[in-house]
Amino acid sequence: MTAWTALSREVKTTSSAFLSAESEVKEESGMEHGEADGISTLLAAAQMPSADWPKAYPEIKFFGFFCSYWPEELVLSAGWEPLRLLPPLHPGMAARLPAYTCAVGRGCLAQAENGEYRRLAGVGFAHTCDTMQSLFGVWRSLFTGGEVHQGDESTFMVVPPVNLLATGAETYYRTELELLWRRLTARAGQKPDQEALRGAIRLANQIRRQVEELERRRAWLPSDLVAALLRAGQLMPRANYNQQLARALTQLEDHLSSPAGRIPLVLSGSVLEGDGIYRLIEDLGGRVVADDTCTGSRHYLGLVDEEEEPLLALTRRHLSRPACPCRHQGLPARLDHLKGLVRQREAQGVLLVLRKYCEPQAWDAVPLRDGLKAAGVPVLILELDGVSPGEQERTRLQAFLEGLAAEKG
Amino acid sequence: MAKKDYLPLKSTGRLQRLMKRYYLLTRYHHLWGRPLRRPLAWITSGAPVEILQAFGIDSLYPENYGAIYGARRKGAELALAAETKGFSPDLCSYARANLGAIYRPDLEPMGGLPRPDLLVIGNNICGTVLKWYEALARHYGVPLLIVDSPFVAADDGVSREHAVAYVKGQLRQLIADLTKITGRPLSMTELERRIKWSNEAVQLWEEIRQLGRNRPAPLNVPDLFIQMAPIVVLRGTPQAVAYYRQLYAEAKERVRQGQGAVPGEKYRLLWDNIAIWHHLYRFFNLFSRRGAAFVVDTYTAGWAGTMAPGDPLESLARTYTEVFLNQSFEFRVKQMIQLIREYKVDGFVMHSNRSCKPYSLIQEEMRRRVMAETGVPGLIVEADMTDERAYAEEPIKNRVEAFLESLEGGGD
Repeated sequence: MTAWTALSREVKTTSSAFLSAESEVKEESGMEHGEADGISTLLAAAQMPSADWPKAYPEIKFFGFFCSYWPEELVLSAGWEPLRLLPPLHPGMAARLPAYTCAVGRGCLAQAENGEYRRLAGVGFAHTCDTMQSLFGVWRSLFTGGEVHQGDESTFMVVPPVNLLATGAETYYRTELELLWRRLTARAGQKPDQEALRGAIRLANQIRRQVEELERRRAWLPSDLVAALLRAGQLMPRANYNQQLARALTQLEDHLSSPAGRIPLVLSGSVLEGDGIYRLIEDLGGRVVADDTCTGSRHYLGLVDEEEEPLLALTRRHLSRPACPCRHQGLPARLDHLKGLVRQREAQGVLLVLRKYCEPQAWDAVPLRDGLKAAGVPVLILELDGVSPGEQERTRLQAFLEGLAAEKG
Repeated sequence: MAKKDYLPLKSTGRLQRLMKRYYLLTRYHHLWGRPLRRPLAWITSGAPVEILQAFGIDSLYPENYGAIYGARRKGAELALAAETKGFSPDLCSYARANLGAIYRPDLEPMGGLPRPDLLVIGNNICGTVLKWYEALARHYGVPLLIVDSPFVAADDGVSREHAVAYVKGQLRQLIADLTKITGRPLSMTELERRIKWSNEAVQLWEEIRQLGRNRPAPLNVPDLFIQMAPIVVLRGTPQAVAYYRQLYAEAKERVRQGQGAVPGEKYRLLWDNIAIWHHLYRFFNLFSRRGAAFVVDTYTAGWAGTMAPGDPLESLARTYTEVFLNQSFEFRVKQMIQLIREYKVDGFVMHSNRSCKPYSLIQEEMRRRVMAETGVPGLIVEADMTDERAYAEEPIKNRVEAFLESLEGGGD
């Protein structure tokens, strides 16, 4: 076990541990919150459930969102902190959704039904899959007229183009973002402020550039550590994350370890709210050298042009960055993207993680499997119901990695 | 298929002949389509078929075949053929059955599907159609044309101007693409003619549905499920208009004579979601035997929107973007409450359909809201439209009986 894996395991999973760790640092050093040690702070943040953030930091106004297509910059410009809503590691059953709903939908709605998201300034949905479309309706009903009444409109939806190559997609989406921005700022009691938006774009870009730096070191770092560092950036206040990540990158520099002997893998999938699968890969001698998940690197890919008109620049990033299976960028786009990652990162195989009832990923799994195999890239499809793999998944992954090791040998 | 326990429609014979002709012509399209330079498109139910018709392109609706596979109890077998290729059993059963029919044409009950020359989708009904047709495009190597219709998130159900402009622009692109594919320009006269026939059929269909407001209702909802075939696959043709004129006359005559589809109509119910095709009559007979008639439904209402006069592309863009499955939760709650009131409904039954997430995932919250607003009780039964493996007969029977008993007891 590496030192970083051991550290990440030692960090307690409760928010109180995170808060006490931070307050101890604050007391000792006189530092304000956010200035504590980079890596341990980020690891603690990554393990703090989404629902705990507004309770732990009542002075910060968090705005919840669901998908990496949600434009965080608009939220930041309205004076809120974007908080990705991820289900707990052991999600409950939402009373309002059938059992054949994915864990993200079920788990988050169960928390909402229990009133755990009352303190949020609002919640944003980017239209992606049928489940998110439905969850938006149920959530809004619950929060505007239902049992968790919040008064004014607090649930928002933005509808990005599905066909990213469609005629007029850019014009349409820029207007869609502008309307959303107006609604969000109105909710925040503000007027849309171009300078605030430019500032938010600069901050988000700084984070993305730092994530690029982290990506360059990925092969020399434990997979679960990188996954947690990236997840932290979707949970904690962004300026704070930006500072802590800079600190963490410096700290990591002295602790890079050779990946020699490990099997380099590309991991592709949707939302992964925990590190279990990454840890299992490490335990079995693998290493995630590229992460094409909604909560991993794909969330950060693509910079926003800071010289361009802000809304148009945001639009262009959304249209051009590597797409999730809910979007259409041409038939071979996703396969080409994965093949490109395999080539650039010198991966030996691809692990496609399917979350149970995630239809877009399940659809893509078949052509990706076939296309990768045809290109001579070994591939394993692993279906997970929860986020933590069990013994069956361990056995399958072990066999896959052993096969790759034999090929390498 | 089990026989229905209520009054049969005389028009059904003509419907069978009409549809048989359509399926035969489609089955042998390769023999006559090519010489006549009429390409065959596989299209979704929410695609703007009128434009294709104006180009002389014929259409096949895989969703319609999915319903037939279900009704013939071939859904599970065909779905399994797709599952053996790696497609998850959690995916839409229409899609799985369609892919299974391609991989195993020997299992396809209509003698095999004709190869498409192109694929056209409107993603206004679900996200699945995009992935399904991407799979078809990979398999057949033919052009995939997409009309991306943004989800209407606003409660008023009206698509915003920028979204309409976006869809309209794509329709123009669709026309440009079809011009290239067919080698002929769009005939605006023909498009207007097709829209006119489409509107006439849709209007007649809505009038037929509205006859359900009468007590007793002249048609039971399973009748509508059978009778909807022309509005789906022959929309934009004079044959559909002529057929629905006849059906309307027959249903109207029943109203005149005070004849209900379900003898001794005691309870009036609303149905929500696609039919359980593999147990259509067997399921609905559980109700009709107890005098419970389904007088209205939300699914067949999906083909009730006519296109406004004026710019045909603008009308097409609006109509196809504002179809009910592309509408917000609040819109659909309002729609159901309105139907309950207009049709004087005593209870509603929701099919939690594992294959149709945009329809089904909101149902429990809808049930709560509608019950709170109207005081009318609602029941949810879980099944699947085409995959009979997801149908648990005894638990469903028990739930239906308990629901009917509660209606008989006045909701106690």
